[in-house]
Amino acid sequence: MTAATSPVAIPERAEGRTILVVARKELADALASRWFWMWVAAFAGLAATLALVALPGSRVAASASFSRTAASLVALVQVIVPLMGLTLGAQAIASQREHGALRFLLSHPVNRTEAFWGIYLGLAAALVTAVAAGFGAAGLVTAIRTGGTRTGAFLWIAVGAAILVLAMLGIGMLVSTFTRRTSSALGIAVFIWLGLVFLGDLGLMGTAVATRMPVSALFAVTVANPVEAFRLAALASFTRSLDVLGPAGTYAVNVLGDALVPVIVGVLGLWFVLPAAAAWARFRSPRQDL
Amino acid sequence: MIRRAASAAAVVVLLAATPTAAEAAADLQAIVDGAEPGAVIELEAGTYRGGVVIDKPLTLRPAGDGEVVVDGGGVGTVITVDAPDVTIEGLVVRASGDTLDREEAGIYVNEPRAKILDNRLEDVLFGIFLHQAPDSVVRGNTIGAKDLFIARRGDGLRLWESHRTLVADNVVDGGRDAVFWFCDELTIRGNRISNGRYGLHFMYSDAVVVEGNALIDNSVGSYLMYSKDLTLRRNLISGNNGPSGYGVGLKDMDGAELADNLIVGNRVGVFLDNSPQTVGVTQEFHGNLVAYNQIGILFLPSVRGNVFWANAFVDNSVQVGVQGGGRFSGNAWTHEGIGNHWSDYAGYDADGDGIGDVPYRLDDLYDALLDRNPEIMLFAETPAAKALDLAARAFPVIEPRPKVVDEAPLVRPPRLPDPPFDLGVEPGPALLVASTLMLAFAGAVVGSARRPWRSSR
Amino acid sequence: MIEIRNLTKRYGPVTVVDDFSLEVPAGEAVALWGPNGAGKTTVVRCILGLVDYEGTIVVDGLDARTRGKAVRSRIGYVAQELAFYDDMAVLDVLDYSAALRGLTMERVDEVVETFRLGDHRTKRVGELSGGLKQRLGLAAALLPDPPVLLLDEPTASLDAHSREETIGLFEDLRAQGRTIVLTTHHMEEMGMLVDRVVAMENGRIVTECPPGELAERLGLRVWLHLIVDPDERSEAQRVLEEAGLGARRNAAGLVVEVPAQEKGRALALLHRAGIELRDLEVWT
Repeated sequence: MTAATSPVAIPERAEGRTILVVARKELADALASRWFWMWVAAFAGLAATLALVALPGSRVAASASFSRTAASLVALVQVIVPLMGLTLGAQAIASQREHGALRFLLSHPVNRTEAFWGIYLGLAAALVTAVAAGFGAAGLVTAIRTGGTRTGAFLWIAVGAAILVLAMLGIGMLVSTFTRRTSSALGIAVFIWLGLVFLGDLGLMGTAVATRMPVSALFAVTVANPVEAFRLAALASFTRSLDVLGPAGTYAVNVLGDALVPVIVGVLGLWFVLPAAAAWARFRSPRQDL
Repeated sequence: MIRRAASAAAVVVLLAATPTAAEAAADLQAIVDGAEPGAVIELEAGTYRGGVVIDKPLTLRPAGDGEVVVDGGGVGTVITVDAPDVTIEGLVVRASGDTLDREEAGIYVNEPRAKILDNRLEDVLFGIFLHQAPDSVVRGNTIGAKDLFIARRGDGLRLWESHRTLVADNVVDGGRDAVFWFCDELTIRGNRISNGRYGLHFMYSDAVVVEGNALIDNSVGSYLMYSKDLTLRRNLISGNNGPSGYGVGLKDMDGAELADNLIVGNRVGVFLDNSPQTVGVTQEFHGNLVAYNQIGILFLPSVRGNVFWANAFVDNSVQVGVQGGGRFSGNAWTHEGIGNHWSDYAGYDADGDGIGDVPYRLDDLYDALLDRNPEIMLFAETPAAKALDLAARAFPVIEPRPKVVDEAPLVRPPRLPDPPFDLGVEPGPALLVASTLMLAFAGAVVGSARRPWRSSR
Repeated sequence: MIEIRNLTKRYGPVTVVDDFSLEVPAGEAVALWGPNGAGKTTVVRCILGLVDYEGTIVVDGLDARTRGKAVRSRIGYVAQELAFYDDMAVLDVLDYSAALRGLTMERVDEVVETFRLGDHRTKRVGELSGGLKQRLGLAAALLPDPPVLLLDEPTASLDAHSREETIGLFEDLRAQGRTIVLTTHHMEEMGMLVDRVVAMENGRIVTECPPGELAERLGLRVWLHLIVDPDERSEAQRVLEEAGLGARRNAAGLVVEVPAQEKGRALALLHRAGIELRDLEVWT
């Protein structure tokens, strides 16, 4: 064993190969964790149960009852999927930093961009797997019980849930880059979850009831929430129009017309891209000490 | 010079190739004019020019299996019937004009006892228009529409002062309404009406029976207005989701009866506006499945005199709503000791007689807020709305007055009516395949992630 | 091999490393010595690019700031805490490290062999003893056969047996001609094996010298607690004070302050006076 002296050519820019190595390790870690499987079991179990109970056995109502299954599924996704993405994302960097694993990783010829996107990609793969398992289970039950109704809408919701979970992962990782301790990162993540899923909507309902805020503002603020953007995008797939959402929905349909769904999907897309990009920008900055 | 000679020769050849079509197009009016009253005219296959007026009783039908097309060329009404006892059967009627105020139609009937049977109408503004044509039969027709903005379309089917007409087994798709003005004692049976504005629209039409129809994906399934003693039974009313869409809307009705209908997946299942309008008149709703609608039954606040029994209210986002909130009473949810089935009933049936031992009370806080603030419909079905109800129940600081009290709720749904149509929900493999693929994907990821960097140990 | 010029690191208002310069030629082993908080670990982290810094660090002719990946490809690093990836198996950690460096799995097998980790390959890192963790850390650091090794407190948390083992490994590494920088906060066995000790305090270099001269250079003093029989204590005190060593008595014996490099002198004085020493403690 002799000490190597010939310099190896290593490009300083991010390399896909290194990102993949980190991603595969993160994915393997996530899949080895008990927590992850509890999420998957809870989500898949509840989704399948919803599909099972939503139908009183009348085939004629299959199409309509699909809307029902879909609505319940969307509500389930709204609750579970953001929590899943946020907590996993919030732990991602903070806990590795806390345990020194991040230092171990970055003492290799790995730059921060590679480390960040490797972690992101690995966790993203794990989360998308969880969503696919949940929707697969629900879809299987629905298919067996009612035959293939509205496959397109079902897949659309699944894709929406996948984008939502990735958006939440990005937000979680952004929290993670700002927090030194895992416990505070988790606390913040849970608080954000509460805000996006419950407090935001409740606040808006209260404001609408108390102040008669214009439906335009109501719609705009609501759709800015990624969890709500997901719900509205999903609704648009299995009801023919967002008119079912009352005056605010009608307003949106009238004002945005054909642009409605692209706008909602665009909002979701921004939430998918921006927090992750911000987290990356912060993490890669050399000013960030590890 | 040479070229001109060549083109002239080509024209001659084309004319010679389709002599029958060319002659027929010129001749349908002549054929009709030349026929004796009461004649049965069997038309050879081919395309005939529209704008035909029939002024004597006769029958038009194809001679054989070949398609007989009457083409209006986009101008005026294709076939006008100005005599009683005319039968038009098995034709393809196509391309009327598109001027709404001239009521340009595929088939326009001005005299009684017409029989319009098994025709196919395409690209027409109005489809079949019966104007003062009582005792007619409109059966088995397929009626399409012009590709126009919905407000500029005509009605697929319009009857005006045409009493006692039978409208059966027609398929109407994409028109504005199937509308009935001042027509008493109609029978509307087995029609399928979809993708229009108002599926079935009744104005001042009394004692009508509507049964076994499918009203699907219209803005409003069936709008009943200013009419008396209408019976709506065993219809399938689904997916009617317009901005102010209803499965069934009742405005200023008296004595309507809705029985054994499947009212599923509409924005509002049944909308009640000043119906019954006469004090003392009762309207009955029984045996209906009202399921998966955003709002099951929506009342305007002053509505009273309706009795609901043996219906199943299943998983409507809002089971019963009152538009604008306010006082709401005078409707009954129990009839001779039989109430309705409510999917959100949380009571019990200790004595096992099928009737819940505690009344069903509808008093959700979110619902109550929604009645007054329809804009928060935006949050229907959200975890936040559910949390609101849960919190209101756990800490009953604000106790909303129950909108509905059903003293004898049915713990099990009554037998559901059979659908009048198979909706064509094929148990296809697409979803099965898609979900299996999703599970396979998840499995593959899990399987591949086990040992990331070496194939074996 | 390593050139550090004017390295300064501040955490907010606190200056952890203050204008630190050091040159380590290829093949030299240097110990950064100092109490906790002296800035040793921070210097190591700066070399690895884990923290931002002012000044210049050049490793093997490459600027650590702009060529971080290339620099780290030349460095094997053993962290102080070694608490990484408790849930991973030993072999998985090595595989991961090798994959990150683009090394083959055969190289991992070689290292497993060299460090006698074969019996522990499927154990979780969290189950390993301190010594095994240290071995695993070194194994991972040596996967790329690096010219430079950075060892952060390599013997801090080890029992006597593991310490001995680590020292054995360390001697091998020196014999292989690697450039080594290690940090330590007490000068015991490991510190004595390097070519040069750099003593740090409050982020600055206090002195540099071969390890044997350190105590004298720093004027370090220690207290000897000498346990002698009560009836001989006053005699002992007299002997020591005559030789110029201030001694005071306590319940068990005498406490004498001596320069760190002259501990033996006090013992020799007592021995010559025929006073029997029962026991001895060294207080620093």
